[in-house]
Amino acid sequence: MSIKHVVSRMRVGLALLSALALLALAGCGSSSSSSSSSAATSAAGGATSSSTAAAATGTGTSSSGGAVSVSSCGSKAGVAATGTPINIGTIDTHQPGTDFTDGPNMINAYFACVNANGGVNGHPLKLFVELDQSQPAQVAAAAKQLIQTDHVVAIDGVFDLLECTLDQSYWKQLGIYEMDAGIAPECWSTPNSAAVNMGPRYSSDGAVQYAINSVHASKIVFVQSNVPGTGYIAAGPAAVAAASHVPITELTENVPINDASSVALNLVDKAGPNGAVILNFTPPEALVILQAAQKLGLEDRVKSWGCSTPCDTDFLAKALGPKWNHKLFVNSELVDTDDHNGPEIQLYKAILTKYGSSVAGGIGSFSQMGFVLAKYLVQALDTAKGPYTMKTVNAAIVGIKSYHSVMQCEPWTYGKLALHIPNNTDYTVTPENGKMVTVQGCTKISAADPQIAQYRKAAAAAGIS
Amino acid sequence: MHPFILMALSLPSWQDEQAFLVTGLALGGVYALSGVGMIVLYRTTGVLNLSFGAVGAFGALIAWQLINHSGMNQWLAYLVCVLFSGVLTLAYGMVFGRALAGRDPLVKTTATLGLTLILLGVMDLLWTSNGGASRSITLPTDNHGFIVGQVQVTTTDVIALAVGVVITIVTTAFLRYSKLGTAMRAMANDREITATLGVPVRRVEAVAWFGCGIVSGIAGILLADLVALDATTLTFLVIFTLSAALIARLSSIVITFFAAIVIGVIDALLTPVTALTNYRDMTPFALAAIALLVLNRRRVLSVGRQGF
Repeated sequence: MSIKHVVSRMRVGLALLSALALLALAGCGSSSSSSSSSAATSAAGGATSSSTAAAATGTGTSSSGGAVSVSSCGSKAGVAATGTPINIGTIDTHQPGTDFTDGPNMINAYFACVNANGGVNGHPLKLFVELDQSQPAQVAAAAKQLIQTDHVVAIDGVFDLLECTLDQSYWKQLGIYEMDAGIAPECWSTPNSAAVNMGPRYSSDGAVQYAINSVHASKIVFVQSNVPGTGYIAAGPAAVAAASHVPITELTENVPINDASSVALNLVDKAGPNGAVILNFTPPEALVILQAAQKLGLEDRVKSWGCSTPCDTDFLAKALGPKWNHKLFVNSELVDTDDHNGPEIQLYKAILTKYGSSVAGGIGSFSQMGFVLAKYLVQALDTAKGPYTMKTVNAAIVGIKSYHSVMQCEPWTYGKLALHIPNNTDYTVTPENGKMVTVQGCTKISAADPQIAQYRKAAAAAGIS
Repeated sequence: MHPFILMALSLPSWQDEQAFLVTGLALGGVYALSGVGMIVLYRTTGVLNLSFGAVGAFGALIAWQLINHSGMNQWLAYLVCVLFSGVLTLAYGMVFGRALAGRDPLVKTTATLGLTLILLGVMDLLWTSNGGASRSITLPTDNHGFIVGQVQVTTTDVIALAVGVVITIVTTAFLRYSKLGTAMRAMANDREITATLGVPVRRVEAVAWFGCGIVSGIAGILLADLVALDATTLTFLVIFTLSAALIARLSSIVITFFAAIVIGVIDALLTPVTALTNYRDMTPFALAAIALLVLNRRRVLSVGRQGF
């Protein structure tokens, strides 16, 4: 072998080592992150888009149940709104590994329905959607764009990894009260944000609570993705377990998970036969762990398995199979639409069918949250006094009190509070032959979590609950 | 107390680690299989195929689609996956491999990153996970197994390791004893002279590209079952394979095999070590760096200087 060859090989080797490191960084950058809403993987590419609520794209006009007409979303069936549009803005994460666009897409579908059936006092709703790839400067710029260029009067429908953290002082300055499906801690802990969901911390609380109170697990192993914010999330389950004098082990795993078999083994070993393993992952990651556990025959080596809300999808139930029937218990922030088929659920499905062709995930937590966010906004706008300005619209939003949706356990209130956790009562569902079914009805999240206790105290003092 | 002592005290017992050894061997077997494919291609064409993982992932997703949406028999679907991976890699090799044949190995390797990114983008478009969609491949061999001590071993684990061993042995024998294998080794030494001797270099390269693609397809199916059927995850598992190849200095297939096994095993064994578990993804990088430094430490290079 010539010297030239040797040198060439060494150079290639060293350069490839650098390429390895770069590849590893790229791999980490594209990994999915844990969140309260199903953080799904999707195509790359960010874009900003301003979209008027789309015209009808479906084929039917009534719900699949036949009892509810889709036109009941608006105040004047069949009458298109033709007044000046009311501009609403939203900022949503859309990047490799995390795509929350189903949320705003469902809001657009709802708006399309309302616009085709009378609008809001004759005014159509126009949603301006800014998509971001979790670059702080980009998120901050998106907020400015919405206000200064698009002239939105409200922020509704934010599903974003960073937005609550970055924009909350800007919204405070402008007097904007955003409605969102929260992810970052600030979505619940600041005065200018209120979420329709519970988020990873409180949803994990619910899963741990069920394992302790209903399954009677004597040990908890709580595992989540190794991403920023894990300390904040883990503090909730730790407090709930401590209040019940149940030992808890808190673990994190890098995502994407490369060796699910080892992870599953580790979790089961640490939980023991009377313990419960609680997962806080997005469905793809939770699925690989659960399937690995099944392949190794581990699913019955612990008392139960639990998961926060992202696992509440029929995709997961179908993929897991019957061995997990009533073995995995998933905290569900919103009602299971398979178990309930009242007028509101029928309307939700009808809007999805007729106007929701861009809602890729179909029926699921994202579109449910989008539906609730749109519904509450429209209801609030109906109460706005005077012309639809930023001041009047946000006064109506912050004044939301006891709005009811069948999707949620309890009435939803905004209010002028230092923090907002208005959705703090939840369901528990479990897989049953390919679908998620309700196994426990509305249950309050434990006030052992100090933040829940703080919110309930503040809400009671304000006469909200 | 000293941190190292604390870490030592929290180490799991050997009994607890045994189960992780099994999972590590299974994954190591697949990394070894992948490493062999990459080394053979590199030695024949000078291209280190960074799209290896992405091609396998694409094939696995096609198999998933055929099984779940077209109702195809799953073994036939896996065959389609393997053939697709072979053909895709061959097509790349015949078009871009040929065009870049005269370029530096680093350029040729970097070009495969382009294929990786294209495949990643297409997979995300075709098989989006929007709405929490999760896909999986479950081989029939997952449902069979046996227990060794207290450790559950699935047939898939055994197959993963066995395929790695068999491919390593067969490839080593092929390169040593067959005419085509000899031609490949000759091309690894000097492509120009080999061509001058009348060896059909393009045909030999085509076989190497196709073979690499076939191995990529097999690895894709196994990793989709053992790890996850996720485009990003499977694409970047090539890092583990690359590390094994680097430890073998991109030349020895046998060393690649053992390096891959060691990487898989160490990665798995670190899982229950709480203090280190979040750092175990560094295993391939750390081992490759150590190996490169240690193995090259005594190399003495004399470079002659031409007169002016």
